[in-house]
Amino acid sequence: MKYTYTSIALVLFTALVSCKPKIEATEASMGDIDGSRYIAIGTNNTSGFSNDGLTFSGQDNCYAAIIAKQFSAVSTIDFKQPFVSAGSIGFNIEGKSPLKLGNKTDCKGVTSLSPVRIAGAGDMTQLMNQYAGYGPFNNMGVPGMSALSINVSGYGNPANGAGNFNPYFARFTSNEANASVLSDAVASSPTFFTLMLGDDDILSFAKSGGTNGAIPAANGAAGVGFSGSLEEVIISLTANGAKGAIANIPDVKEYPYFTTIPYNGLTVDAANAVTLNQIFNPVGISFVVGVNAFVMEDPTAPFGVRQMVEGELVLLSAPLDSVKCNGTGSVFPFRNEFVLDLDEVAEINTKISEYNSVITSLSQTYGLALVDAKTLVHRLKSGIVYNGVAMSSAFVTGGAYSLDGIQLNPNGQALLANSFIEAINLRFNAAIPYANPIKYSGNIFP
Amino acid sequence: MYKLFTLALLLPFIGFNQGFQVNFQGQQQQGMGGAGAALPQDAAILFFNPGAACFHHSNEISVAVTPVISKGTFLEDNTNETAHTTSPVGTPFSAYGLFQIKEESKLKLGMAIYTPFGSTVEWEDGWTGRFALTRLKLLSIFFQPTVSYRLTKKLGIGAGFVYSYGNVNLQKDLPLQDAEGNYGHAELSGSGNGFGYNVGLYFEPTRHLNFAITYRSQVNMKLKNGEADFTVPESLNDKFPDGKFTSSIPLPSVFTFALGIKPSEKLAIALDANYVNWKAYDTLAFDYENNTSSLLDTKSARNYEGSIAVRLGAQYKFTPQITARLGLAYAISPVQKGYVTPETPDNNRLNYTCGIGYSISDKLVLDASFLFTQVKREDTNLETNLSGKFKTLVFAPGLAVTYKL
Repeated sequence: MKYTYTSIALVLFTALVSCKPKIEATEASMGDIDGSRYIAIGTNNTSGFSNDGLTFSGQDNCYAAIIAKQFSAVSTIDFKQPFVSAGSIGFNIEGKSPLKLGNKTDCKGVTSLSPVRIAGAGDMTQLMNQYAGYGPFNNMGVPGMSALSINVSGYGNPANGAGNFNPYFARFTSNEANASVLSDAVASSPTFFTLMLGDDDILSFAKSGGTNGAIPAANGAAGVGFSGSLEEVIISLTANGAKGAIANIPDVKEYPYFTTIPYNGLTVDAANAVTLNQIFNPVGISFVVGVNAFVMEDPTAPFGVRQMVEGELVLLSAPLDSVKCNGTGSVFPFRNEFVLDLDEVAEINTKISEYNSVITSLSQTYGLALVDAKTLVHRLKSGIVYNGVAMSSAFVTGGAYSLDGIQLNPNGQALLANSFIEAINLRFNAAIPYANPIKYSGNIFP
Repeated sequence: MYKLFTLALLLPFIGFNQGFQVNFQGQQQQGMGGAGAALPQDAAILFFNPGAACFHHSNEISVAVTPVISKGTFLEDNTNETAHTTSPVGTPFSAYGLFQIKEESKLKLGMAIYTPFGSTVEWEDGWTGRFALTRLKLLSIFFQPTVSYRLTKKLGIGAGFVYSYGNVNLQKDLPLQDAEGNYGHAELSGSGNGFGYNVGLYFEPTRHLNFAITYRSQVNMKLKNGEADFTVPESLNDKFPDGKFTSSIPLPSVFTFALGIKPSEKLAIALDANYVNWKAYDTLAFDYENNTSSLLDTKSARNYEGSIAVRLGAQYKFTPQITARLGLAYAISPVQKGYVTPETPDNNRLNYTCGIGYSISDKLVLDASFLFTQVKREDTNLETNLSGKFKTLVFAPGLAVTYKL
């Protein structure tokens, strides 16, 4: 009898210990969309380009792949990407390997954690076309693609020359001679698509310090202006009833690449102040002990040089070692390619706003979900806290951007994917669960 | 540059019972919803009301333990991801000795040892709140030597001095990844002590109706030599130096007004109202000995509010050997909207309790009790943005052995 009581008590106790309270979750739903053939069209972030290179892990964690993964929680989809081999270090078309964090000793002998190249050269064998074995692909993200180039035939054909050829597209075009990014996308007869276009047109101007040609006009026919090019894409993709989402263009100047070095980051000690004043007083520039604005080239200034003013930006491409030790940015003024002056900043602002008007208006005309990537990037500037993890646009430590200071890392890509999902859920009465950004990796520390 | 990491290091606190209070100090009282400050009938009265201890007639020694099984689940709103607690079974215990130097003396002396605050909360590996908390263990033991004096046949007063010892171990992951994908980890552990008192007044105007007023003071547990241990990728070791820290946790005061009603020899009803001054817990601060740009001292808002609990219970003596008990308690949570953390996914709650007492002999008594409660809370924490629904089930069966001298 006693034994029985003990057994009952033990069974009850075990039952209590092993029970887990249940909480009912909201039911997930695709709403009005069919995600079974999802095609992503875009540029850098879409392709998963990060740490200044194309790598398997960057591709695997791009926002498009994350969106596809969230779709797959609700319905069956297959999302194929033109992957770099999983074991490859990756590459970029300048022949370089991607960046990692490593110790770097500067000209003053100070060693600190900095982005360094993984290897002396990138794995250029990854440029081989892989359509035959693995295509057609769902991710049509092409690093460095202008919105105006999306319907260029033979965009994967080296013979077409700069502007009409992109080696990243050559990796996965269905037909080197005459396929365009758009024709390949349409050939997949998508049921749903996401677009993130125009960002690279702004970015390639901005990250070159305004030296890489003008930003294409916001309005104009396909191949000439942003509006016509974008509308051509949307018309082609929606022709068979596909629904889609389109992201607006963030203020690229809020990327760490543009915010890390302040315009007045020149620190001068007493001895240097004397030297600099001897050099620059004759041209009307003077320095004080402490914080000073950098000096930049400006053909319109009286002697071709002037100090930077508030609102002008020093790019992360500026040679920091030379700044510290060899007088770059002071004795040797910054060349145009390392800075954005006020006119260039104004041009960027104007074009972003014009492009975004085009995007908003086309999203309304064609019933697309409008994704507010601009607000996400802006919020990252002041910092986002997700489940106790602070993410921001602080270079390296902010944890949302990769080591190139422009492209997002997997944490940031998940945040961007969530901006897409938010807009898709709202526009198409869907309840697609959000991705969990903290389950994606951030920057890796040695 | 590393400043943003510090936000993730703001460190919180505990438990699964109205804030981190644990109301398991007497099996007879536990059977009656936790009420009994105006019902002196066992040595646990030393905790519930030192002023009534002198009205309890026998000299006795009593020990009790209450295994607390608490099972928590979290559903994250955005992702629909679910996580469960893997907390070990808690073991609040108590031991009481109540003595009268000589018969018919108006003075009674007692010693009470109990654990009024603390538990262990642990969440499954890799859960979505891992950067807010992975595990928190808080243990506090109170030692309370007590004197109780019968002023008149109807009025008693009593006072206990409280020395408390406590230790805490808090762990969380840090969002810093190495090449193998391992995340950093922080473990803060330390012990401390504090002092306080427990005073009470007991008034027995008739045989059928008793009143009690008691006040248990706040005890500030000071952690003076805490050890902070950080595991981070090698290149960040100098940013997160292991070292000492200091902190302090207020264990709040409790003011109680209670009624004891005895309509007959067999039936007794207890009604207690507690006011717990959780306002004392407005901030949790950690002061690290070795500060770096990433490891700054932290101050984390808790903003607890004072809370009220009402406890009602009854017992019926079926035979001289067997007494059965039933009780209910309603407790208002001190945790305000925006401040719910994975340590205290607390909310207003209704506790259901029952118990049984069995006298094996004139000398030996067994008392058992059982408590069940369910707590649901939905919140978005203002500091971590952890957003979702918590649900906790608590089962607490307890057993006491009392030996009458």
